[in-house]
Amino acid sequence: MPDAPLLLSDLTVLDLSQGISGPYCAKLLAGFGARVIKVEPSRGDYARGMGPFLGDLPGPERSGLFLYLNTSKESVTLNLDTPGGASLLRRLAAQADIIIESFPPGQMEAWGLGHESLAGANPGLVHASITPFGQTGPYAHYLSSEIVIQALSALQYPVGLPDREPLKIGGSPTLMTTGVSAFSAVMVALHFRDLTGEGQHLDISAIECAAVSQIHASVHAQFGGDNPMRRDSQLSRTKDGWINVGIQDSSWVEFCDLIGQPELAWDERFLDMAARRKNAKPLVEILDVWLADQEKERVYHQLQAMRSIAGPVLTVADLFESPQYQARAFFKTVDHPTTGPLPYPGAPFTVAGIPWRMERAPLLGEHNEQVLCGGLGLTPPDLARLREAGAL
Amino acid sequence: MSRQALSGLRILDLTQVAAGPYSTFTLGFLGAEIIKVESHKRGDSTRGHVVPPPHQFFTYPDGKPGPRPWDQRADYVQRNRNKLGVTLDLTMPEGKAVFLRLVERCDALMENFRAAVMERWGLDFATLLKANPRLVYLKMSSQGNTGPERNYGSLGYTMENIAGLTSMTGYEGERPLMTNETYPDPVAGTLGIGGLLLGFRYLRQTGKGCFIDMSQREVTTGLLGDAVMDYTMNGRIAGTMGNRHRAAAPHGVYPCAGDDEWVAIAVENDAQWAGLCRALGDPAWAHDPRFADAAARWRLQADIDRPLGEWTRRLTKHDAMERLQAAGVPAGAMLKGKEVIHDPHLTERDFWDWNYTPAVGRAYAYVGIAWHYSKTPRRAGFPAPALGEHNHQVFGGLLGMTEDEIAELERKGVIGTEPEWKTTPV
Repeated sequence: MPDAPLLLSDLTVLDLSQGISGPYCAKLLAGFGARVIKVEPSRGDYARGMGPFLGDLPGPERSGLFLYLNTSKESVTLNLDTPGGASLLRRLAAQADIIIESFPPGQMEAWGLGHESLAGANPGLVHASITPFGQTGPYAHYLSSEIVIQALSALQYPVGLPDREPLKIGGSPTLMTTGVSAFSAVMVALHFRDLTGEGQHLDISAIECAAVSQIHASVHAQFGGDNPMRRDSQLSRTKDGWINVGIQDSSWVEFCDLIGQPELAWDERFLDMAARRKNAKPLVEILDVWLADQEKERVYHQLQAMRSIAGPVLTVADLFESPQYQARAFFKTVDHPTTGPLPYPGAPFTVAGIPWRMERAPLLGEHNEQVLCGGLGLTPPDLARLREAGAL
Repeated sequence: MSRQALSGLRILDLTQVAAGPYSTFTLGFLGAEIIKVESHKRGDSTRGHVVPPPHQFFTYPDGKPGPRPWDQRADYVQRNRNKLGVTLDLTMPEGKAVFLRLVERCDALMENFRAAVMERWGLDFATLLKANPRLVYLKMSSQGNTGPERNYGSLGYTMENIAGLTSMTGYEGERPLMTNETYPDPVAGTLGIGGLLLGFRYLRQTGKGCFIDMSQREVTTGLLGDAVMDYTMNGRIAGTMGNRHRAAAPHGVYPCAGDDEWVAIAVENDAQWAGLCRALGDPAWAHDPRFADAAARWRLQADIDRPLGEWTRRLTKHDAMERLQAAGVPAGAMLKGKEVIHDPHLTERDFWDWNYTPAVGRAYAYVGIAWHYSKTPRRAGFPAPALGEHNHQVFGGLLGMTEDEIAELERKGVIGTEPEWKTTPV
């Protein structure tokens, strides 16, 4: 029996998206086996121009953001503003199973590449539009950025200290989460297509993917609670960073032994959870004195061993030292001509133990011949003509 | 014509608290039948106290706990909509036997316990596969199913710490701060849906059930790829940078008219800078040659922030957002809690799922689904189940038990509809 296709290895994805959200969605599809053809304009996905850069020197093959978000993809360059480029895309779309794109609403239609038009030739096509605000609604044409989504989704307002301005959560969590969310949304559409043969159009917006975070606060507020407010974090300083410590009732005696103060177990101020809550201030002072001499990762394991929960604030460097990440071989090394081999975060999950696919991100236009000649049957002179016409 | 994408799938849901229940809640919108299994001796901890203390009354509809507070607490009802609810004590042999019969009749199982919990109950994957060789099993634990920390617990906010997110959140150059939002919970919950459906694809391809191993911690670190790359490429350890951007300026939040009102602004290129100048009425300071290029603006951003804040302070946050967006500048009003429910954009996109709550005689807006499908719209949401509400429907209807058999389970304490816990820490 020939090997059956596994997970997504029978599928071809056209990734027309740029930036963060769409590319992360397509990266996940590639990681689970889909062939992903990234279609870039001649200047490349704009993420190639976003840092961090190798050695802090910008360059299209030097962006760590781009390299991470585009693993296991092929790259072709197509100028969709030219009739030749649009026509090649139409031919690629006729053979594709999934299209991921992130153009402003109406742009695909303006090129004659709207969903109706592409689905006419390929009714099974799953077409996901991933944009900041979606295809409809009063903000549909608004411009966006991570901090704009965090603000407008009510995510940012309660982050930070009470007497300071609202604080952005670090990195690009909402734009990345939009990619995660779009991946699941596409898997839903694919399930439906596997059963019925029918494709469809998906309208996915970062603002809604971020507003999902309000599932908790929105209900609280309507039931009569206050809006969530900024408040300080319960973090204590250790010898090598910060940690959040929560002692379970059942661990209290053991914990007092651990910190070398067994007499605290009989101290009336801390006898049970209610008493410890009431006397939080002296308790935190005692804790802080002890923690100041400890290593955060060690305290984490000590408390977990007594079934209490502790959360050390790990830096990106600490993550590489994590015994858990090491045991699971979470980081995977990827070689690339400009950076050499580097470890990248690996699979977000595994199915039936099937290894996650992790090949380096493509160079700009690296697969033009392979995709256009091999896939569409163009000849090298055809390519030269298209290049001359500005289509490639 | 209205059909849901996942009609016909029946999912057994052992997930508790936040990330897992968010997954199954969304699967319910997509048409799957969700059977939430709890024990009436323990319950999902988000159901809270049987007799809630007064300082928690605000978490109940209209501030009133009502006769069955555990059935209507905010933390429980928000993520357990769209599900049927049954009770089973899985530590009892009779409970396990019924559970295995449910496994036979369901397509998938989702749970988010520490790794060893199911093993302790004798309900590991190998055992479940014997009951149903086509079972798709998604385990969404904090740390994954392997490794020395597989039995470690976590909460949403400790997860952001151990996955790296907190280390990058904080005012510029100051100590880290947690998000206060348990940000990772819905992220893993959302990805769980894709994971489960990939499992179904594997089942269609091989005819065999499968185990999906998802670590919420790894999912969260996956969101930080660019910071990881900055470390591996350049040796730089991402720290706190407040509301600033790595390369673009001005970038931050600016005060608006009113109390604690703000607008977020992100200027990422020359065209947006020109738009900002236009929106401000082309003031002289903005045309200072010192601000002519992006690198200079980034270096001198404090000098831009000051006059920009003076301009925004005179406007409401929505006015500032609209004027800036009209000029081609990314800007967003800083919405506070319930303001997001009345946001015109989310309203027009039908994001909220308005549902009437009979107990208090009014409708509340619940989070709907973030995705819009041209062919398979979401199903109308329905309320979270009362404790053991569907015991008869599921054990009688689906498993074919007689009323006597169900009564016997109740008499033995295997199932129940009244909570037997006193208090649960959340």
